[in-house]
Amino acid sequence: MLEAAGIPTVIIGIQAFRPRLAAMTPPRALITPHPMGRTIGAPGDRERQRQVVLAALDLLETADHAGTIVEFPGTYRVRPS
Amino acid sequence: MSDDIQPGSFEEFKKSFSYGARNDLNFKFLAGLSDEDAAAFFQELLWKLGDTLDDGNAARLIEHAYAWQVHAYDSVSSTTYDEGPFTPLRKPLAESRIALLASSGQFIAGDDPRPFGVEDMCQEEACERIMDFIRSEPRLSTIPAGTPSDQLRARHGGYDVRAAQADPNTVLPHEIMLELADEGHFGKLAPDVYSFVGACSQRRLLKETGPQWVKLFQEMAIDAAVLVPV
Repeated sequence: MLEAAGIPTVIIGIQAFRPRLAAMTPPRALITPHPMGRTIGAPGDRERQRQVVLAALDLLETADHAGTIVEFPGTYRVRPS
Repeated sequence: MSDDIQPGSFEEFKKSFSYGARNDLNFKFLAGLSDEDAAAFFQELLWKLGDTLDDGNAARLIEHAYAWQVHAYDSVSSTTYDEGPFTPLRKPLAESRIALLASSGQFIAGDDPRPFGVEDMCQEEACERIMDFIRSEPRLSTIPAGTPSDQLRARHGGYDVRAAQADPNTVLPHEIMLELADEGHFGKLAPDVYSFVGACSQRRLLKETGPQWVKLFQEMAIDAAVLVPV
């Protein structure tokens, strides 16, 4: 809706939601390898959270067509203790 | 509960995890699994727990929960789709003003959306009333970016909010974005970030509330938006 109104958007969603997101034809989507409710990263894992948001922001610049879906590499981790 | 479900049956057990007696939003998918799959989920989990008794490594348990969530929600077989709208970014990212919106059910203490007029609704009640939420109009909560975590609340009958309560950035990365903007990775974060309970009337979101929010975002004069469906 925002995209159609002229505002570029990027969605950050978890792997479990990928099929549903893909069916909605998102302009840009970053898929994270995270469980539900921990989309950006585990509580306190600042480094992972930063990396995820940076990857999403990168898509705003680098995607050039609707349906650009990119997977954030790696696996879920808890905050290093 | 349907008349077909036998009390004490495995069917009843599976369903109890989805807004039933054993409600657990991380594992509500159990209600939709076949008996065979659900049994496999538990059997494999317990076997892995046995390994963890020996080495203390819980990563295999986390991987198990994650893999089964992905498997359970993987119901759409085809990923072909029509072309959707696409608006290119008009300015370099380093000059862009960016908004943040998450369907995470977060709000600032003192600005409780008071769903259905209820004061201080707890997460448990939000789960009990999930069907009321799904029929209701969504309400946008405004959160000044940088609000300290102890002033933020999360309540949403559709997902386990414990992570969001412990660290709001797990679903609404406002502090992360402020940091990244300060470091020059992008221009600026819009001063207010937004959240709503995504478990709401999708029809009303698309037809009524959504267009109002689009106007709000247009008036914010932003160059792009980061959206987090939770």
